[in-house]
Amino acid sequence: MGTSRNVERRTILKVAGGAAATLGLATTTACGGDSGSGDGNVTLRYAWWGGEPRTIAMKKAIAVFEKKYPKIKIKPEFTDYAAFWEKFQTQASGGNPPDVFQNAVGFLRKYDKRGVLMDLKSQADSGNLDLKNFRNGVLANGQVDGKQLGIPVGANTMALVIDLNAFKKAGVEAKMGWTWDEYFDALQTIQDKLKIAGDTGYFSIMYLYDLYLRQNGKAFFTDSDLGFTEDDLTQWWSDGYKRVKAGLVADPKKIEQVQPKSGLSAGLAAGEFTWDNFSIRYEGEGESDYGLAPIPTTNGKDTGQYLGSLMLSAFSGSKHPKEAAQFISFMVHDPEVGKIMGYDRGILSTTEQYDAFVPTDDQNKGVKAYEEEVAKAGVLGKITPHPSGADVVETAFLRIGGEVAQGKTKPADAAKALFSEAKAAFAG
Amino acid sequence: MTLVKEAPARPAKKRSAAPAAGRRGRRRENIAGYLFMSPWIAGFLVLTAGPMIASLYYAFTRYNLFTPPEWVGLDNFQTMFQDPRWQKSVEVTLKYVVVATPLKLLLALGVALLLAQKRSGQGLYRAAFYMPSLIGASVSVGFVWRALFSDDAIVDRTQKIFGVDVGGWIGNPDYVIYALVALSIWQFGAPMVIFLAGLKQVPQELYEAAEMDGAGPLRRFWNITLPMISPVLFFNVLLESIHAFQVFGSAYVVSNTQCGPADATLVYTCYLYQKGFKEAQMGFASAMAWTLVVAVALVTAVLFWSQKKWVHYEEAAK
Repeated sequence: MGTSRNVERRTILKVAGGAAATLGLATTTACGGDSGSGDGNVTLRYAWWGGEPRTIAMKKAIAVFEKKYPKIKIKPEFTDYAAFWEKFQTQASGGNPPDVFQNAVGFLRKYDKRGVLMDLKSQADSGNLDLKNFRNGVLANGQVDGKQLGIPVGANTMALVIDLNAFKKAGVEAKMGWTWDEYFDALQTIQDKLKIAGDTGYFSIMYLYDLYLRQNGKAFFTDSDLGFTEDDLTQWWSDGYKRVKAGLVADPKKIEQVQPKSGLSAGLAAGEFTWDNFSIRYEGEGESDYGLAPIPTTNGKDTGQYLGSLMLSAFSGSKHPKEAAQFISFMVHDPEVGKIMGYDRGILSTTEQYDAFVPTDDQNKGVKAYEEEVAKAGVLGKITPHPSGADVVETAFLRIGGEVAQGKTKPADAAKALFSEAKAAFAG
Repeated sequence: MTLVKEAPARPAKKRSAAPAAGRRGRRRENIAGYLFMSPWIAGFLVLTAGPMIASLYYAFTRYNLFTPPEWVGLDNFQTMFQDPRWQKSVEVTLKYVVVATPLKLLLALGVALLLAQKRSGQGLYRAAFYMPSLIGASVSVGFVWRALFSDDAIVDRTQKIFGVDVGGWIGNPDYVIYALVALSIWQFGAPMVIFLAGLKQVPQELYEAAEMDGAGPLRRFWNITLPMISPVLFFNVLLESIHAFQVFGSAYVVSNTQCGPADATLVYTCYLYQKGFKEAQMGFASAMAWTLVVAVALVTAVLFWSQKKWVHYEEAAK
């Protein structure tokens, strides 16, 4: 070798330094969760799921907050729904979830059981969070076992979204208090007259089946289990499959292929059950006019409906519980934020925000009118519990319902499979 | 660090007569080598070996990421073998491997035979055929595939011209797996390049001799080309089957992250992912992962055993 000893030694030192730097880098990234800084400023991580319009609005709302609380900085994180919970689960298990995050009723018990959620009552007691002025008792949606684990930002209820033109052409009227028989007759009329299906696949929507069960004195979940029998579900899925075969419900193969577009806006069917605040998407996606119709009933009166809601929760281990509570309080009460967010996450839950936002477009007006009508009809009940594992059961319900619709699984076997998967989910 | 101490000791034993200065130089060289490798070694230990050992442990536990893993022995494996969805995922994966691998290799070999001929512009063709392999793993191609094979899309319309009407492959549980197979076949570039290299190695004089003896092109292919490239063929079969067992991205994207419809694209890794990251059953997912490792090892072993019967190495011929 032609190199001198000195040079060689220096090279070795450099290499050693490089390796140490690599390892050092790994350690610093591993503990990158600290967000405070010396000058009294605090940074909160805030995560939500949703589409682009929500993100644009959310960033505007954050800017309003940061202006009023110059010492608190908000670092946004956002993805779509499915990716959100996969990411959240990984972050939370590593002890590094966001300080404040969007939440839903199906996840409350699950993450409470794992010690991730802050009980916001103490923050309310110390004056950092205002629990007053919530409409229609919706605050209760965020309570589990006497703890306030989530603060509702909006309230929404299940609805039937219909293609107004199709219903008109077929001469079918969707009226308050109509029964399931009348609904299925309507699907038949639509098929006879327009040669299209009337529904995109009602029987694999867990929240709709919940309403049906509630109409019959049961519910999808109890505190820790399923609130119905295998026979109930076998019946529900057998009827559903029959209607797919008869063409009253759209061909699942076609529904699958237009995703992520909905079967309704793709023109594959004349109606679809979903949450009322989702109805805003159809105008943008489809070519017809869409409206909200009442949920069919069993007895001509009770729809089984309740106000569900998206909420904001905080991480129990957050280093800045006070600021997190202040941020949540601001996001649910500030009138300006209400104006910016509109009904994107349901009808605004506090009176301050509800009064501040006056919808001017037809879809938002429609959602408001629908919920007022439902509230006036006096059919709204209390939300039923969602045990830990409810999210996994919902996914399984959708998937197995899809297998039934495709004719790949017999309804009785499907019901059995759901019960077995639910058992595992509740145990996990 | 024991590695560093031991490594120079061995050559020292063998060449005890070597001068002390040379030994020192060699040792210094070894240390430098290990230092250069250390980022890689650290990465391997921290990012590969560590997680692998951890997952082997988790395979015998119930672990939901939040509460500490609880030892359950062989429970995960027992539940797994009885789980109808796991059985379905094995079925779907085997179907994919058995159909996709031979078709892909057949096409790769066919195109390689064409591209091995001396023609003008061959370089361009080779690049063009290899291109899909470069972008094949990307998510965007999955979306393109979804668009191509959907209802009323180009594949569906073309089929209808020939009087076949299945209404798009993506939503149909009976056909969607073949859309994945088609995507795999389309990425035949990598095995093709390897075949091409193999074909270049076949001595021309063999063909010349065969031609003089009156052998036609088919006979030349069967009796010269195929035996001569059989080591390359073996390598490709091995590599492609292992790849096929691990298919994930295309199934996940084409099925809109659902591995469906009706679990028709529930390939093994897709179910593993669902169990681990959606349902937080890391113990079960780890058990699945190690079962896959063992299964792939078995398949590899069988292929190695079978090569004695059909792979011809030149040394053996001599």
